Amino acid sequence: MSGNRKDALRLLAQFSTIGMSVAFSIFIGVGVGYYLDHKVFAGKTSPWLTLIFLGFGVGAAFKNLYDVASRKDL
Amino acid sequence: MEHPILFISLILQGLGLPVPHGPVGDTLLAKLVSPHMTYTWLVMLFLIVVPKLTLGTMSLVPGKGQNFWEVIIGGLEGFMADNMGKEGARMMFPMLATFALYILVANMIGLMPGFMSPTSNLNITLACTLIVFFTTHILGVKFHGIGYIKHFLGPIPWLIPLMLPIELISHFARILSLSIRLFGNIMAKETLLGILFMLAGAYFAPLPILCLGVFVSIVQALVFLLLSILYFSAAMEHAH
Repeated sequence: MSGNRKDALRLLAQFSTIGMSVAFSIFIGVGVGYYLDHKVFAGKTSPWLTLIFLGFGVGAAFKNLYDVASRKDL
Repeated sequence: MEHPILFISLILQGLGLPVPHGPVGDTLLAKLVSPHMTYTWLVMLFLIVVPKLTLGTMSLVPGKGQNFWEVIIGGLEGFMADNMGKEGARMMFPMLATFALYILVANMIGLMPGFMSPTSNLNITLACTLIVFFTTHILGVKFHGIGYIKHFLGPIPWLIPLMLPIELISHFARILSLSIRLFGNIMAKETLLGILFMLAGAYFAPLPILCLGVFVSIVQALVFLLLSILYFSAAMEHAH
C-alpha cells in the first residue's frame, strides 16, 4: 500500500469517529446528570444537575471537534 | 422475522441444551450456548486450528502457508509500527493482532449462510472495547505514573474544574463509539442479508450486499485496530 492511501485510511478512521463522539458525549453528559439528579439526590436538585452536565457534555463534544480541527499535520 | 438457521444452535438443540431463541438466554447454561458465544468459540477454534494446519514446519525458506501468515503478521506489525512506533508496536502486538484477526474472521463468518457474526451482538463488541479502554489507562499509568492525571486536566490550571468532567466524558464516549460502531455496522449487514435472503434469495438479491459485506468487514476490523492503536499511543505520549 502506498503512503498516500495509508494516510487516507488513517484519516478516514479518525474522522469517522467525530459524529459519533459528538452524539455520545452529549448523551453521556445528560445520562450522568439525570442519574445524579434522580438517583443520588432523589429529585431534590432536579433539573439543575441534568442541565449542568448537559453543558459538560456539549463542552466535551466541542472539545473533540476542536482537537480535530486544530491538528497540525493536516 | 424468521429465526435464521444457525447450524451450531440446531446441533446443540438436538443434544437437548436450552438454546435461547432471543439474543441472550436467562440461565447460565442458556447464556453459554447462545449463538454469539458458540460462534465466538467457532472463530477461536478456526483461528487456532487453521494456522496450525497451514503453517507446517517453520523453515528459513518459507513454503506457501508460512508465506501467507508471514505477510499477514508482517503487515499488521508494519501497520502498528507506523502509528505507534517500533517499541509500542512490539509491546502491544499480541493483543492488537488478536483483536484484528478475531474481529476480521468474526465479521466475515456471518457472510456464509448457517453462520452468524458474533460481533453483531453488542455484548461481544462491548467486551472488546472495555479491554481496550482499561488497557489504555493501565498503559497511561505504567508510562507516566501518577502524572497520568495531567492528561485529564488540560493545559490551564484554573480551568481544571471545567476540563476534568469534559475529558472524562470524552473518554467514556470512546467506549460507546468504538463498540456501537462495530456492532451497528455488522448487525446492519446481518439483518439486511437475512431480510434479502428471505424476500428474494432465489433471485440473487443479497449478492451486492454480500460484496459490500466483505468490504465493511475488512474496514470495520481495520478501524477498530487503528482506533485502539491511536488511543494507546495517545496514552503513552506526554500530555500537551
